[in-house]
This record gives sequence, C-alpha cells and structure tokens, in this order.
Amino acid sequence: MENVEKKIREEAKKLLADKKVDVVVGYERGTLPLTATPVFITEPDDADRLVYDATCVQNLAKYVHDILSAHKEAQKKVKPEDKKKKVVGVVARGCTSRSLVIQLQERQYGRDDLVVLGVPCNGYIDGKKMGIALAGEEILDGSLTGEGVAVKTSAGEKKIALNDVLADNCLTCRFNNPVISDLMAGDNAPAKAFDREYEKVDAFEQLSTEERWAYFTKEMGKCIRCYACRNACPSCYCKVCFVEQSMPQFVGLSADHTDTQLFQLLRTFHMVGRCVDCGSCISVCPMGVDLRNFLKKLDKDALELFENRAGAKMEDVPPLSTYKENDKEDFIYNP
Amino acid sequence: MEKRLIKKDVLAGIVGKIAGDVNLVAPVKEEDNVLFELVKDGVTALSSYRNTKNAPKAFFFPRSETLMRYTRKEKGYEFTGLGEDVSGQTVIFGVRPCDARSFVILDLLFDQDKYKDPYYIEKRANTTVVAVGCTKPPYSTCFCTSVDGSPMSTEGADVFLTDLGESYLAEFLTDKGEKLLKYFGDAKADAGAEKKKEEIAQAAAKEIKKTIPAHEIKAWLDANFEHPFWETVHKKCLACGTCTFMCPTCHCFDIQDEVKAADGKRIRNWDSCMFPLFTRETSGHNPRTSQKERWRQRFMHKFRYYVDMFGPIACVGCGRCVMSCPVNIDIRKIAEDISKL
Ligand code: SF4
Ligand code: SF4
Ligand code: SF4
Ligand code: SF4
Repeated sequence: MENVEKKIREEAKKLLADKKVDVVVGYERGTLPLTATPVFITEPDDADRLVYDATCVQNLAKYVHDILSAHKEAQKKVKPEDKKKKVVGVVARGCTSRSLVIQLQERQYGRDDLVVLGVPCNGYIDGKKMGIALAGEEILDGSLTGEGVAVKTSAGEKKIALNDVLADNCLTCRFNNPVISDLMAGDNAPAKAFDREYEKVDAFEQLSTEERWAYFTKEMGKCIRCYACRNACPSCYCKVCFVEQSMPQFVGLSADHTDTQLFQLLRTFHMVGRCVDCGSCISVCPMGVDLRNFLKKLDKDALELFENRAGAKMEDVPPLSTYKENDKEDFIYNP
Repeated sequence: MEKRLIKKDVLAGIVGKIAGDVNLVAPVKEEDNVLFELVKDGVTALSSYRNTKNAPKAFFFPRSETLMRYTRKEKGYEFTGLGEDVSGQTVIFGVRPCDARSFVILDLLFDQDKYKDPYYIEKRANTTVVAVGCTKPPYSTCFCTSVDGSPMSTEGADVFLTDLGESYLAEFLTDKGEKLLKYFGDAKADAGAEKKKEEIAQAAAKEIKKTIPAHEIKAWLDANFEHPFWETVHKKCLACGTCTFMCPTCHCFDIQDEVKAADGKRIRNWDSCMFPLFTRETSGHNPRTSQKERWRQRFMHKFRYYVDMFGPIACVGCGRCVMSCPVNIDIRKIAEDISKL
C-alpha cells in the first residue's frame, strides 16, 4: 500500500497545483494509534498528510456530497456572473466509488464536479473486532505489517492476522476496486470472498418470524438514536431527515423504543438499492448495533427482485426510481 | 475523618451488603462494554475495570426524565403528578476521580444560589459517591492533571478507596460517606497506609503522560470568537453527539411534551450542541447556522464560558470523547493547535 499512498500524494499535489480541484478529500493519520481520519486538503504542500491503508474506515463520498451541496446552496446567493464552480477530488475505493455513482445517478451533482482518485482496497480494520481480539486492552501502539497487525498493549505485544480483524463487509466485498475513477493509484487489489456475501443473511432468513423480531428488538434496544449511522452514510443526504421534522413530529426526543424502531425501519427501507455495504454506519455506531444484517437483507432483495446491485454501474437505473411492467410483485401478496 | 483498612477479598462482600440495603449503581459488563448501571439481582459489580463507557452523570441527570404529568379534561388540563419517584437512597460505587469531580462541576450549575434544579438536587442529596482512585491511570488518553484533577483526587467523593496492593484504604470524607462506615469493619488505617497512599498518588500523577494547555488557551479564546481556526475543526464531524453524551460534564437539555391520547408527560432530554436542532428556534432560524458554530460552542463552553461563569474548566480529562469520536476529532489536539496560533 505504500506505493499507493505515494501515488495518492503525488496526484493530489498535482491536481491542487494545477487548480484542477479545489479540495481533495482523503485520509490522514489519526491522533490515536492505528487510526486514520478524514481530511480536506486544499494546499498542494499539505498533500503529504494523505495516508492510505487498512486503518482508513469512513466512506468519503459522504463528505463529497456535504461539500458540493453546501457550495450549491452558497451559490444561490451569488450573482450569475460571479458564480464559481467547485471541483472536489476524492480518494475512492470500491465502496466509495459506488456511493459516488449513486449520488450521480440521483443527480446530486455533475460528473465534472468530481475527480475520482481511485485506490485498490484490501479492506479496513473493524474497531470492534480489534477490541475483542485484544480482550478490551487499550492499543498503545500499532503498525501494519503486510498480512498482519502488530499491536502493543499494556499486556504486551501481539500479532494479529489482518483477516481476523477486517470488517465483515470487507471480507466478502464484491467491488473492492473502484467502479469509476479518473486516476488509479496502484493496480487492482485481489478479489475478496464475495461469493459468501449473503451467508449471514441466508442463515438469518432461516429463523422464525419470532426469532427475527427478537433479534431486531434486541439490536434496536441498544440504539441511543444519535444518528451517527445516518450522518456517516453517503446515501442519507436528505436536507431535513424525517426524525428531525417538528411539524408533524414523527418521533419523540425521549428514549421510547418504538420511536427508535420507527427510525431504523424507515432508514433501512430508504436504503433499497442505495446501500453499498461500506460499513460506515456500523463503524461509527457508539453502541455496536448490528445494522448490517438488515441492510444486507434488503440488498439481497434488490438483487433478487430487481437485478440491482447498488451503484455498480453508472447506466443502471436505481430500483426506487423506476417501474417496470415485469417487476416482481408476488411479495406484496405473499410476504 | 475516619479511615479504615479492608482486606481486598472482602470488598465484593461489602458491595453486596450495600446492594442489599440501598440502590447500588456500579460498573457492570454488558456485551463488550463496561457501563454504570443499577445493579440488579444476579448481576455482579465489577471490581477490576478501567472506566465505564458511559459517564455516571446519568444518575443525577438522566437521558430522559419526566418532570411532570398531566391529563386533558373537558375543561383544561389536570396536573397528575411529578416525575419518577426518586426518594430511594443510592450508592454509586466505583466512580473514577475524574467522574467524581464532574459531579462537583455539575453542582455549580444545577445547584446555584439563583437557580436550583430540584430534580438534580434531590438525587444528588440521596446519593453517596464511593470513588476508587486510579493507582494506575486506566488509559493513555487520560489528561485529568491538565484540568485541575489528578488520578487520586478525592474531590466529589464521599468515600474514597485506594488500592494498596493487599488491601484497600477507605477514607470517609463526608457525613454521607460516614453513614457507610458500618459496612467496612473496624480495622483503622495506620500512618503507614497513609504514607503508602501518598507515594501511590505521586507515582500515579506521573503516569499521566498526556498534558494539554487547557488554561493557557483561555486568553486566546477570550479574544477570538471569530477566527479562521474555527473553520478547521468541524468539517469531518458527523454531528452525532457521541462526544457530548459520553462526556461527564456536558449538561445541555431540551424539554418536550409527549402526549398519548389525553395523557401528557413533560420530559427533559439530553440535548447536544453537536445536533443540528440545537438552539433552533420556532421560526426555523438558528443563531448557530452550521457545525462550525456548534463546535466552537462546545469548545468555548468548556474552556471559556464555564470558567467565566463558575470557575473550573468544564472538562475533567477522562478522554471519553477522544476515545469514542467515530472520526477522531480530538479535543486535546484542538487545545494544542490553539496554543500554537
Ligand atoms: S467494502 Fe470493499 S471497497 Fe469498501 S472498504 Fe471494504 S473491501 Fe474496501
Ligand atoms: S449510530 Fe448506532 S446508536 Fe446511533 S442512531 Fe445509529 S444505530 Fe443508533
Ligand atoms: S470533554 Fe472529553 S475529556 Fe473532557 S470531560 Fe468531557 S468527555 Fe471527558
Ligand atoms: S463524537 Fe465526533 S463526530 Fe460525533 S459529534 Fe462529537 S466530534 Fe462530531
């Protein structure tokens, strides 16, 4: 990955120096060991802060949408002759690029507002899995060593195989290389075990309705409705989310579990054909709620019912924006 | 002040006895987290843990608290009672010194001469705080010594326990604390135990490797409400409020009525300066238009406004926000960056 990192820095520096982009959204080192954090680079000299490895977690398409929609808003107040274009460069691996495709399909901005710095991806480290592997010990220092992670805790040093701590979505990722890109930093990464992507959903489908409901209520019982999942999600970009509307007010502010379930059900259903399984919502959840199982089930439904894989191809028409006469509808009568 | 020495292995028994007599709140393990919770039958309070993920403030200032109830009648509303019954005596066991200090900091706000919050004050009065010193600071992110605390600070504790190796030194610091004396046996602590505690306290404070210029930046904050620096903090923030919900000193709230058919409840809920709805007015206008203004509020509130209003910095250096921010916005780094401006 070191070469990829070097290439990203070079390309970002060039793009900024040549004024081809106004900002590059990427990752920089975090303040805690083994972390990276989103960064917004506007000066060519700062491009050396960019990093790229298995500690980079967030799907950066969320920030692309933030920046471009804020710019669009601000431009509304500007005289036509003073209007300016803003171009965003973004470090994008497979899932990020699919989210960009979705935002483009949904006409959130134009392709020329964007420079996609594609990167190959081998997956990222899941903080919760790491916590379990270290039995809750705090990471004092750490480094990535090819196929493994070397970690120092107060209990001593430990080597962990990367595959043991990669996020579930990464282990079975089908699109770990960008589906669109203007520049590629590095060769394509080897395929992941994508043929197993629905294994967990298949097992879940075998459970009885009661068992599935029990699992849903248990997981949602943990949720404190901080909305980090929604805010981290590149497909959750509504200007005003229904949970924050006050006329009418759909959900209360207090910790009523039916309000929590309502929020989660509605968000999940808004994700049909729009969830790229980047795992951002899960990684930011402070309470460790398993959202993926439910999102992945809808993803499977979208594939089986509408032959759609979210954001896989620019020319696809998203299932929620179209109607075909041969759309399956038996699930309406035989759920 | 009474001081007792207790053998290590009897502590669990003491905690169990206390739980038999009053409500006991203590750290317990829940899936992968250690949380402060009301200890129910069959659950064991942990004796070895770093710190809890959630701050214990919730037991005085709950996430959602019913303030009053009412019913709609033919003619107008009828008041049908106050909130939950909080008359029971409670012991919070196992509070870390930073969190114990947070209670003192919150008292300044909820229990002022001018404004008194009866809901908070009643629970505070009914609760005894048993703190456990950090003989070994639990995290590398701890920075209590930069914000006037220390790993062995007794501020805010009614009873303070120090792990001396073979035994615990128990200090009974307040009248409330002395009411628990009966559980702790008769072995008085000798001068040797106190000396040992002193040594441990000094060593523990040295173990805190991280310092931040928390006081030094005050003058800059006073002068720079408007400054380009504030553009650099918030951009990656997800506005999730995790930092403020986990924080032992954050205390903003929002009061709403929730009505089902004819029955209404007036509920006070935690608010967060990180939420887009924070300070939004009925008209739809929000004086804090973006996350930039909100983040400035969070930082200023802790390191400037609270100091001006009440004296102490409204941060106890527990590091919870640092550890739990999903995008690694680090309050320590913000303080450092400001000090370099
Ligand atoms: S989901 Fe795929 S593209 Fe996204 S981070 Fe994981 S492996 Fe990479
Ligand atoms: S991030 Fe987790 S706790 Fe927060 S709203 Fe989403 S599911 Fe709930
Ligand atoms: S601001 Fe952060 S470090 Fe300070 S008391 Fe709050 S959570 Fe702890
Ligand atoms: S925890 Fe981090 S992302 Fe969430 S509101 Fe606080 S600073 Fe923003």
